[in-house]
This record gives sequence, structure tokens and C-alpha cells, in this order.
Amino acid sequence: MSVDFDVIVVGSGPAGVSATFPLIESGVQVLMVDGGKKEDVPLSDDNFLSARTHDNNQWIWMVGEDFHALKMRDAVSPKLRAPSQTYAFADFQSGNQIKSSDFTVVGSLAKGGLSNAWGCGVARLSQAELAEFPFTTSEMDASYEKVSRRIGISGRSNDDMSAYFGLDEYAQPPIPMDGLHKWLANRYEKKRTYLNAQGFKLGRSRLATLNTDFSDRKACNLCSKCLWGCSRGSLYSANHDLPALRKHSNFNELSGFVVDNLHFGHGGWTVTGQTSVDNTQRSYTANKIILALGTLATTRIVSRVLDIKRSLTLLSNPTAACLIWVPRLLGTKRINGFGLGQLSFSLALNNGLSAFGSTFSTTGIPMSEFVRHVPMARRFGVDLLKGIMSSCVVGNLFLPGQLTKAETKLSDSGTLIISGSYSDNVEPFMEEARNKLSKAYRSMGALLLPGSFTVGKPGGDIHYSGTLPMREVPGIGETSSMGEVKGMEGVFVVDGSCLPNLLAKSHTLTIMANADRIGGLIAANLCSGSTA
Amino acid sequence: MNNIVVTGGNGYIGSSFTDVATERGHHVTIASRQQPSSGNVPWLYFDLVSYKAFDLPLDTDILVHLAANISATEFLDIDTEVAAAQELIKLTKKAKAKFIFVSSQTAREHAPTDYGRSKWHIEQAVLAAGGWVVRPGQVYGGELRGLYGALVNSVSKLLFLPAFIPTPKIQPIHVLDLTEGLLQLAERDDLQSKVYCLAEPLPIPFSSFLAEIAVSRLRCKIFFLPIPTPAVRFFMKVAGTDLQKRLGLTRLNSLFDLPKMTTASDLKMIGLSLRSLPAGLHPSGNNIRRRLLREAKTLLTYVLKERPDSVLLRRYVRCIEALRGGRVVELPEIFLSFPILLSLIDSTCWRTDKLAIEFAWRMDAATLIAEASPLGASRFLGISQPEGMVRSICLLATSVVGEVFWRLMKFFVSPVLRLALVSAGKGLP
Repeated sequence: MSVDFDVIVVGSGPAGVSATFPLIESGVQVLMVDGGKKEDVPLSDDNFLSARTHDNNQWIWMVGEDFHALKMRDAVSPKLRAPSQTYAFADFQSGNQIKSSDFTVVGSLAKGGLSNAWGCGVARLSQAELAEFPFTTSEMDASYEKVSRRIGISGRSNDDMSAYFGLDEYAQPPIPMDGLHKWLANRYEKKRTYLNAQGFKLGRSRLATLNTDFSDRKACNLCSKCLWGCSRGSLYSANHDLPALRKHSNFNELSGFVVDNLHFGHGGWTVTGQTSVDNTQRSYTANKIILALGTLATTRIVSRVLDIKRSLTLLSNPTAACLIWVPRLLGTKRINGFGLGQLSFSLALNNGLSAFGSTFSTTGIPMSEFVRHVPMARRFGVDLLKGIMSSCVVGNLFLPGQLTKAETKLSDSGTLIISGSYSDNVEPFMEEARNKLSKAYRSMGALLLPGSFTVGKPGGDIHYSGTLPMREVPGIGETSSMGEVKGMEGVFVVDGSCLPNLLAKSHTLTIMANADRIGGLIAANLCSGSTA
Repeated sequence: MNNIVVTGGNGYIGSSFTDVATERGHHVTIASRQQPSSGNVPWLYFDLVSYKAFDLPLDTDILVHLAANISATEFLDIDTEVAAAQELIKLTKKAKAKFIFVSSQTAREHAPTDYGRSKWHIEQAVLAAGGWVVRPGQVYGGELRGLYGALVNSVSKLLFLPAFIPTPKIQPIHVLDLTEGLLQLAERDDLQSKVYCLAEPLPIPFSSFLAEIAVSRLRCKIFFLPIPTPAVRFFMKVAGTDLQKRLGLTRLNSLFDLPKMTTASDLKMIGLSLRSLPAGLHPSGNNIRRRLLREAKTLLTYVLKERPDSVLLRRYVRCIEALRGGRVVELPEIFLSFPILLSLIDSTCWRTDKLAIEFAWRMDAATLIAEASPLGASRFLGISQPEGMVRSICLLATSVVGEVFWRLMKFFVSPVLRLALVSAGKGLP
């Protein structure tokens, strides 16, 4: 049978594009399909505080003409409320036939996938951390380097987190910190020995954001609008990789195509799905299929094709957020700055567990996000925040993914049901983390505001992974070291679903590096096949 | 979902009932003399005179009998009307359906009008057959039809309106509230067979009703000409029955003879809360926009500590219309006048959980809408205001003092507050 393409890549997120590069570079005919949703709220160049002062139409990007921010009032993250990010999350569950009970489910049908709303945290897994991965560390190292250089990362700094992130050799210098973070970094230096002994390490965040211009993308200009959509392209999104792919004639793209199912027959795979262009069913054939729809959607497709009726374990990081106040800086002038992580920390917990977190400026976040968590009447809550917030940073915290007990299960109607909760261990670990953080920041002269430490809802991390883990000898519902699905020869999984573990550490770069590695292996395989 | 047949479904109450019942998912068939003008509703021919030709579909679950001989030009005798009703009761029994009869406030055994007497006879037959009877008060609101339409028309045309002395009193009910009451009787199984009197519990002078039509519905001024009621009665006696009917004075006669209805317990039994007369008479049908704007002003002023401009008010109203079905939280008048009093109910002290949740939602909406404006930037971030540690300490002190003060206040007034909030959330689902 003659197939339409050598490889069909389903999904244009970080995993999809990373797997595609090595294929395209070796001349393989690739079709990339995606949900194709694009942003429709125009991004302004104005910085946040100036726009807030002068823009009479600021409600359009803060609330949304359809009151999106209020529709999403109960969503887990401010990102999900930002009107400019609506497209990134829209219709994911219905489009992919996914349902959840008591578990936050977020995904993307957008061009570029969830990277449109990414916090940009990057990190490399150490040799020890890669121990569960069924291949040698050196295979990953080349891919970490290749992907890091492609997407542009910053944060290089000779600090206590340098080894933790392990990426400084490819990184630009960090984006400048605001006064609060400078002050905290300074105090950390003074208390370093004590804090290290407590298991607390602090350093610059390593991020897929630009400190200096990089190809067509511009360096961060500290406009405080990270949450609302970066008009300069300083924050990486997989969209930025697409122009480079489109330069190749062997790269083909189909937008607005939501894949529903796969079939094998006549020596090749057929993907079928619905196009948003005319709402018709279409199908395309290829020798190999790469699934990069995002963990949940990929899991549904695989479960459906293999008719896996048992539950699959889903990894997801328990999260928490808190407000840290620096009393000495009370009354500091609000200034624009960088809106993503400025300082990151690792925190050693009992049983050898490690937590990870970052702190952020509060400038670009609406005060309304905080007002409703203040245990005061709103009128006075606003007064309080107006006085205190310019001397506060927001912190987040992640615990390792195995602490969430979640699973996916295919229903008889073909819908994937996601359910789960935190394991009983999460509460004591969170308690421990809160106490240790509180102590650490107190020694730096800052205060973890009492009552502000809030544990997030299960699934709110959006770091779903591990449903189809790579194994040395995979069983049904698992994947080989090449990401090839056991029982579906020729179908490869390259997104979070094939990760064998999920640490507290940012995992996206690992997904991308692994996708690049698998893409390279498939390319080599196809080329050797064709020469043979 | 039920199969409902409505006699007189084209009338003032009937069309309102048909619309709302259809919207709720019921399958409504109109039984009337004329085919409904909107062709979407199934129709059966039904006439009070030739009622014998009518056959009720056997899958009917509920029959709502609204058809009545109200026109003064056709002389239908009582017996025919009662016989028609009895025939309908028989058909309803055969179909094992519910029978709901819409009667009249004038229904009495020895009512002065044929109308009132015929209604009473039908009521007796319906109750004997285990059916439900509704006696509505003065129905008003919505389309300008029926007696309500005639009254609005008169008020708009006449320079002087009669103010009868001593004044007759009426008990109004909005046509949509009556519709809701009928639907409750239709849908629920826990309401016993009896006469339900549905109207405002406290009667109001007829002239006040007319004045309210002028103010709230027509937005015009009217003048009253005092007319002694005994004089009218005397004239009617002299004129004789025929002339009375021709001049349409029979209805006036029933107005003078309205017995006061005790409605509070029936309203409670059905769970019906009536809208106020000014709200019901407002051209928008319910005056909702204006009340939402007042809610907007109250909540936004509370958050912003100053009066917001009309753009923000309208944005809030649009938001409630888009996301909360345009329903109003009925805050007590004093909160609308002094928004700072919302400090008492912001967060706790609410009557029901549902209401508290809704109020918290609206507070969050008001907070975000207030914030997302240049005014909000100044209020929330203090942009273009002096900063510094002293200023911040002042702000913190203000907030703590304010919070403590209002918490104490809340402690003292909470019993009163609970009572004040009883009416709040009336319009919520």
C-alpha cells in the first residue's frame, strides 16, 4: 500500500515539534496535524502599569468581552482566566472526549499546545534522576543540548541552583530581577550556610525566556505582561518553532484536525478525525505515527486502539501557593518587571523527597486574584493588599508526581475518565514544606503570610504524565525505550505520557529532549530502511 | 415534561402560560376557537358553545381550563358555560389527566354577576372531580391585553380618571407570577385539590393601581375625578341589565363587589413570591435593568469607595445578564442607599447558602470589573498616588480598623440583618 506520508505527527506542542525536527532534517515526509486554535485577543505593546493607568479598554484583556475571567472564576490558575489565553484551553475536553471527576483537567487544542501558556520552567534530569528511563543518560544529553539551543533559555548564573538545573552551558544570562527578589537573593547569600544545612537552596530560575534577541524573537523588556500574552516572543512557545519547520518542503501541516482514532491495515496506519474547516471526517495514512497530543489525549487514543479497560496510573505534581512578605520593603514603588519565576528553590523534605518552587512578582497579577483569599470584607481586603502587595512575592511549590493517586480509565463509550486525589502523604509533606519554607524565609527577613499557604486542587499542576511509561520490557499499556506503544508497532508516544517518573523539578524540557531523541531514532530507522 | 392542553390558550393569561410552559419543555396544545397566530403550537378547535364536538386527546396529562365568556357582546348563558366545563371534566377523567381551572376573584354562589356565579358553579364541579382551582386577583403586566390592556389604554387616553369613593380595592398579580403558580400546580404532585387564591395579600385602592400604571408603565401624569360609588350603582340600576352589558358596566359592577381574598397561605403553599407592582408594571416587563443598575452601583461603589462611572455600571449589568441569567439579588433598600453597609454581609451572615454563594460570585465580579479600569488601577494599585512605608502602614491600619469595626457591628446587628435579607435572592433560581 502506498501511504500519504512517512510519518504523521499528531500535535504541534513542545513534544510534537521536538520530535519533528530530526525527522524533517533527515528528509522524511512529515504531516503535522493539530487542533489549530489561535489567539484572537490582540496583544498590546504597552507595559502593564501604563496600560492599567491609561487604557480604558483594559477590561477587554483583563476580563474579556465575553467575561471569560468570570466564567473561569473557579479555575485553578490565573492563566486559565486570562482572556488572551482562552484559545489555548478551549474545547479540549469535548474535542478529545475526556471527562474528569474531582480532578482538574486542562489541555490544549491550540497551535503550539499548552506551551502557549507555559511558565517556561526548564531543567535537566541528572543521571540519578534518569535511572528509571530505559536508556543511557548520554542519549538524553545530546537531546537536552539540541533542544535548549533551539528554544533559547536564560538564567545562567553561578549560584546554588546551577547544578540542580544543569543547563547553564546552553543558557543566556538571567533576566534582571526586581528589587524584592534582589533583596531576597542578597539575604540568602548572607544566610547561605544555615539555609543549605536546612535543605533549602535558592538561585535564579532557569527559563525558556530570552534575555537577548534570538532569531525573530525579541528579548524580554520587563513589561509585566507575561500572564496576558507576550507580544515580543520572549517566552518560548512551540509556535516559534513552526516557521523553521515550514521552510522545509517535506514538512506538511494540517490545522484544525482533531484526531479521533487510529487504525492499522494494509501495511500502514490511518488516522481519522474531524476537521474544523468543514466538520467532515477525514483520514490520512502513514508508515509511522507520533502521538504528541498531550498526556491525556494521547492516553485516550492508545487506550481506545488497544481497548485497554483497566485503569492507568497518572502522575501529577501536588501543588501549593503562598504569599511571602518582605516587611522591610513595605511601601516600595510598584514597577514593571519580569512576570515569570525570578528565583527558584529546592527544598529537602523527609524520606529523601525534594520539593521545588519559584517566586514571582505580583505586579502583573490582578489584585482580584488575591482579594478573595483575604479573610476580610473585600472593601478592606483591597486596602490591605494595596498597602502590602508591592512588598510581597508569590511563591509556588511542587511535590513529586507519585504523591498524587490518579488514574485514567476508558469508558464503554470511548470517553477517557480522569479521576484522582492526593495520597495521604501529601498533607504531612505540605505541612513540612510550609514550616520549612516559613523558617527559611524568616531567616531571610521575609514572612510567609499566615494563611496564605494554599494547597492546590489535584490536577491543577497540569503536569500530567506517566500513563504509558517507557520500559525496558514494556507490557500492554506501556512503551519501549523508543516510545513505541506495545501492541501498536509503528505508533510512538513522545509527550508526557511516556515519562517513567515525574519529579518536583520542571519536566517540560525532558519531554522535549525525549521527543527529540525518539524523533532521531525514528528518522535513523526510516533512512536505514529506505537505503536498505 | 407533560402534555398540556390549554383552553383559551390565545387569551391574555393563556398565551403567557403557553409560552412559559413550552419554554420549560412541556408539550402544549391550544384548544380555542381561533387557530393561534404563531403556527408552531398544536391546535384543537374548541368552543364553549359547541363544546360537545370537542374531544380531548387521551395522552393529555393536564388540562388548564382558561376559556371563559368575557365578551359583553355575546350572550352566553351560565348553563352552557357550566355544561361545557362539566363536559371537559368528563373528558379529563377519561384521559386520567389533571384538571386545573382558572376561576375569578368574583366567584361566589350569590355573586351579583353571571360571571361570578358561573365561575362558582364550575369551581364546585371541578372540586367534586378532584381538580384544582385558581382564583387570581387583578392580573396585570406583559402584553396589553385583557382587562389590563383596557385599563392601560384608558389611562393613556383619558385626561381624568374616575376615583370611586369609597374606593374599591384590588389585589394585583403579575401575569407571569400567575403563570408560574399554574405551572407549579401542573408540575407538582404534593399540592392538594382545593381553591388557591393567588394575588398580593394586601389589597390596594383601585385608583392607586391606575396611578401606578401611569407612573411605572406609561410614565405620564394623571388626574382623578372623584365619583361616588353609590351614584354609579344607582345609574346602573336605572340603566337595566341590557344597557349595562352594552356599556360594559357589568365588569365595573364586579369591581365594586370584589371580596377580599386571603392569599398569603396559598402563595406560601405553592412557594410563589410575587414581584412588586412597580417592577411588574415597568415596560421592560420587570424593571430588571434598572434594578440591576442599582445593584451594580451598590457593589461597585462598595469596592471602589467612590461612585463608578456609568460605563462600569453597564459592564456589570451586561456581565450579570450574560452569566447569571440577568437575575437581581434583592438587596434591602438601606444597602442600596449606603453601600458601605455591605461590609456587614460581605463574606458571612447570609440566610441561605445558595444566596451567600451567589452574592460572593457577584462580589468577585464587581471586584474584577472595578479593578479592570483606570479608576480601579488607582484604587487597587495606588498608581499615581504617593507611596512609601508610612503611607502603606496607614493603609494597613485603615483596613484592619475598618474590618474590626464592621465585624463588631455585624455581631450586634446580625439578628436584624437576617430578617432584612429574607427578601434578598427572591429572583434567584
